[in-house]
Amino acid sequence: MKPHALTAICVLLAPPAQAADTPDFQREIRPILSNSCYKCHGPDAAERKGGKDGSGGLRLDTEAGARAALDGGVAIAPGHPDKSELVARIKESDPDELMPPPKSGVKLTSHEIGLLEQWVRGGAKYVKHWSYVKPRQPPLPEVTNKQWLRNGVDSFILARLEKDGLSPQPEADRLALARRVALDLTGLPPSPEEADAFLNDQTPDAYERFVDRLLASSAYGEHWARQWLDLARYADSAGYADDPLRQIWGFRDYVIRSFNANKPFDQFTLEQIAGDLLPNATDDQLIATAFHRNTMTNNEGGTNDEEFRNAAVVDRANTTMSVWMGTSFACAQCHTHKYDPITHQEYFQIFAFFNNTQDADRKDESPLHGYLGEEQQPQRAQWEAQLAGLGATPDPQKAAALRKQIDGLAKITVPIQRDLAPAQRRKTQVQLRGNYQALAEEVTEGVPAAFHPLPEGAPMNRLTLARWLVDEANPLTPRVIANRFWESIFGTGIVRTSEEFGAQGELPSHPELLDWLAGELLREKWDVKKHIRLLVTSAAYRQSSKVTPGMNERDPGNRLLARGPRIRHSAEMVRDQALAASGLLSRKMFGPPVRPPQPNLNLSAAFGGGLDWKNSTGEDAHRRALYTEWRRTAPYASLTTFDAPNREVCTLRRNQSNTPLQALVTLNDPVYLEAAQALARRMMASASTAAGMADHGFRRCLTRPPTALESQRLLALHDEALAWFKSRPDKATAFATLPLGAAPAGTDLPDLAAWTTVANVLLNMDETLMKR
Amino acid sequence: MHPHFDLLQAQTRRAFLRSTGQFSLGAIAAQALLARDASASPAAVNPLAPRMPHYAPKAKRVVYLHMSGGPPHLDIFDYKPELVKRDGQPVPEQFLKGKTFAFTTGLPKLMGTPRQFAQHGQGGIWMSDAVPNFHGIADEICVVKSMFTDQFNHTPAELLLFTGSPRQGRPSMGSWTTYGLGSENENLPGFVALVSSGTQPSGGQSLWGTGFLPSVFQGVQCRSKGDPVLYVSDPAGMDRELRRKTLDALRDLNEAQQRELGHPETATRIAQYELAFRMQTSVPEVMDISLEPPGVLADYGAKPGDASFANNCLLARRLLEKGVRFVQLFDWGWDFHGTNKNEDIRDGLSAKMRASDRPVAALIRDLKQRGLLDDTLVVWGGEFGRTPFREGRTSGGGVLGRDHFPDAFSLFLAGGGVKAGLSYGETDELGFSIIEKKVHVHDLQATIMHLLGFNHEKLTYRFQGRDFRLTDVHGHVVRDILL
Repeated sequence: MKPHALTAICVLLAPPAQAADTPDFQREIRPILSNSCYKCHGPDAAERKGGKDGSGGLRLDTEAGARAALDGGVAIAPGHPDKSELVARIKESDPDELMPPPKSGVKLTSHEIGLLEQWVRGGAKYVKHWSYVKPRQPPLPEVTNKQWLRNGVDSFILARLEKDGLSPQPEADRLALARRVALDLTGLPPSPEEADAFLNDQTPDAYERFVDRLLASSAYGEHWARQWLDLARYADSAGYADDPLRQIWGFRDYVIRSFNANKPFDQFTLEQIAGDLLPNATDDQLIATAFHRNTMTNNEGGTNDEEFRNAAVVDRANTTMSVWMGTSFACAQCHTHKYDPITHQEYFQIFAFFNNTQDADRKDESPLHGYLGEEQQPQRAQWEAQLAGLGATPDPQKAAALRKQIDGLAKITVPIQRDLAPAQRRKTQVQLRGNYQALAEEVTEGVPAAFHPLPEGAPMNRLTLARWLVDEANPLTPRVIANRFWESIFGTGIVRTSEEFGAQGELPSHPELLDWLAGELLREKWDVKKHIRLLVTSAAYRQSSKVTPGMNERDPGNRLLARGPRIRHSAEMVRDQALAASGLLSRKMFGPPVRPPQPNLNLSAAFGGGLDWKNSTGEDAHRRALYTEWRRTAPYASLTTFDAPNREVCTLRRNQSNTPLQALVTLNDPVYLEAAQALARRMMASASTAAGMADHGFRRCLTRPPTALESQRLLALHDEALAWFKSRPDKATAFATLPLGAAPAGTDLPDLAAWTTVANVLLNMDETLMKR
Repeated sequence: MHPHFDLLQAQTRRAFLRSTGQFSLGAIAAQALLARDASASPAAVNPLAPRMPHYAPKAKRVVYLHMSGGPPHLDIFDYKPELVKRDGQPVPEQFLKGKTFAFTTGLPKLMGTPRQFAQHGQGGIWMSDAVPNFHGIADEICVVKSMFTDQFNHTPAELLLFTGSPRQGRPSMGSWTTYGLGSENENLPGFVALVSSGTQPSGGQSLWGTGFLPSVFQGVQCRSKGDPVLYVSDPAGMDRELRRKTLDALRDLNEAQQRELGHPETATRIAQYELAFRMQTSVPEVMDISLEPPGVLADYGAKPGDASFANNCLLARRLLEKGVRFVQLFDWGWDFHGTNKNEDIRDGLSAKMRASDRPVAALIRDLKQRGLLDDTLVVWGGEFGRTPFREGRTSGGGVLGRDHFPDAFSLFLAGGGVKAGLSYGETDELGFSIIEKKVHVHDLQATIMHLLGFNHEKLTYRFQGRDFRLTDVHGHVVRDILL
């Protein structure tokens, strides 16, 4: 197995070598064994090779397996590399005897061979994979520079920095912090007024109070919902070839409401996995179960509904295990997992939990739940009051009429999960090679033996599974969730592979910190806002993001946090920020998806309707990106260019690319041009001098004022553009008004066009597209 | 000299050594992504910078012509006289046992081709009268009559063909190619998709999607009408001169930012804006077929301003000529069920082919004439074949159609290291099963990767803890058809 690029980072992040030379199993040995040996000598009995006849093959993933007798000798004789067949075979010169076999394409480096040999010499100790051991909240480590500390996070970050002889950066200036934390918490830049209020707040806890205002804003829920919707693979269409539109936006709104109400994460979990099984389930708890109705439905003629119902159940099992437990469970759909202790049979035991709901790849998406939207609720209340007011001698005709009116109110529908009646329950069988038609032994609901058990006597249903996911004994969920929050705030997870915590994932950069954060989540009873607040109020977060000489070379990904985070905006933030800065952004929340302008593609979906849409008008053209209609076969192009996924399946981590196509969007897409035009009008109205106008536009995009140099450069561009437009009045009119519309009467159009040019540059600055 | 220059150079060099020392493409790409945060010189670590494959390639570029829907191979390439003889007889039961078909149940009736077949070229390749323009290129192509797939519905079959898996989420063949090879022209995308006949293929954008590979390897959908690449045109009122001035100002501001904070990402962004500026000229130019001489337009049957398959064939040649690695054409309308007269294997097929076989033949001749065919691989085909019997729903009507058939189909390859004038593989006398030289779609993928210079088992990318590849855990190179 080739070493991958991250080896370099692991080495960088590895604590200094200990005095004893025995390599660490967790950090140095298991990755080698996992990458190079487990495929044939791991958990999967069907693929296992070697070993004594009748032994079921040689296992190197367990201590017992590695020490079992072979036909002559033993794979690993602790303390005796010379008596260990493993050492002999990896150093073998005969290609027929060499391990791993040359034809596998996997080759150990001499460094790896040396490590394995030393490990055998040192006693060949095995330890359980770190993430399968329940975390214990460690004490805060000792540090020298105590006055730097603001909370527990900092002790771990600083301890690691001090160990390497590094020191953190000073705190970022207030305006940089204001923009950073506002974008991280709400996805929107602060308004100049909000930033100034924070800048001028002289109280000692000014920053914390600023954070609290952001956490309390409705934009917070929208921003964090967006991230959850990637995991939930939420989209407004059913997927596959014809990809018809699907009404399921009630789920999106539920997620926004849940974040804004600061619903504890365990409750949020129970509702989405099994809200329908909660006693007296509310509208919201039923809507929540649409989480697993975001799977795709195939309406293509000639398809077998059972095949695609099965595909949806597979997706639910995989998504659940990935989102909550960071486990690449999907591998076990076809065979016993090659790296992690999950058998083929155990896969179908989890599958069984999801295999008994009523939905069955139907075109009508049934079962649906209908509920009244906010607009209808006052009307219903009024009619219900009238009904109640009929008093002791009700007029039956009048009462019936009122009831009919109430029932006739237009309902919003959302596909939900509902269990089958006991008599209709499906039998779950192991599917050979993941083929839904190749059925083997029957299995019942259960969880993999490597994890904590289900509570005794609990009913075997989704609710029990949901409780198991957020059980205090679950070693993975609190770590996986804490890691995901960390990734959102700091740009990279403590475990960089936030989607994979198993043997093939990367090791955490700060293992004790991760366990401490997982412990905090439990201690705080899954209080999400409190947890995010903990992260953003740390000194580690509040550092300047300036790179000191040598640090790029040493830690290009800023994993050690010797400076503050600086990462590119998500696709949604790029759009929302441009609209916010220009004043075009609508803050209308919730409701059916909207269709912001995009060019016609003149294409239809296969066997389906046209993919072009009629643009929304009025404020719906300028809503936050998360309300954009998400059609899986043709997602909104300007968002996908900035790495938004198509949401066909659960997306655990987005790329953060930097491409020329992105430049074309923010320079030329009419949406961004309109934003530049609106920003230019704001700039001209804000001040009486050119310098004042430039300053205002700059602050709207970047919160901070420009430096003298930046201001000069913008003014120089304005003058160049003005001269250019003065001799081209037609171009000036077009550039200043298409598509935004006519400028106020009396506006000097060449000047407005010149400021539009400046605004277009402001919206494209590197700093605008990044958190600073 | 820039204060960070030395440092960044060192970083670049280190990234380069690390990735080439062990030829791990996973490492290169991951490194390129990391290095994106770590280099002042994007050209040196640009994930799209040209790279050498595992060994000397026979094909340097690919044009894949996909007929979305599944062309009726029994009426084009796979001539079955016995089937003609037994036309109208019930299908022998052994061929139906354990099989499921998309739209056919019960006992269907065999249907011999109504088309006239003859042998063409020195290799005596059988072709029907549906493809008159293919007759003249018989000596350039290798027809594989023993293709098969696992999927009998369009979406999963197309996904399997182009991403190696019947479900969404995997990278497409073109993305794997640009991931492995980078791009030769830094002013154009390395992988371009062109769609004709007004409808997306069933597999949707996933067919040129990047799956879990970094998004820079995504196929760029170019259009022959309107902006060829989204937002490549300057808005009304802006022109090249003023755009240059604005980008100069933007660069100065970004450089100031970089001096202050020292983030290499900023340098990358400066470079990407410059590339975008160049693309604004180079893309419309390469996409403008009106620059072609009238004779060439006539050969292809292309008309500037159309969104036709013929235009896309000509565009493909222009793109390949400029260094684009992988051009993927999707043409809709090949699903010959017989539900309407356009789906009739007699007149319907002739009509569809009139707009199709000529540009394909023109493309192959054009590539050959320009000396590009030797190292350009051309592939023509669908996602599956069609049944040797009449489709169930339409069997009572006057329109002749066939159902989806995964067990056997035909496609052809040309150029790029493939033997020319060869007919490869055979189906049984009625066309129900392959009797020799079976080629699974994974084998086709392995072969395409091989021609591009890759061991398909080693072109991998680590995602969620596993090393993935185009051919999943399957695929054998079809060596018999290689030069």
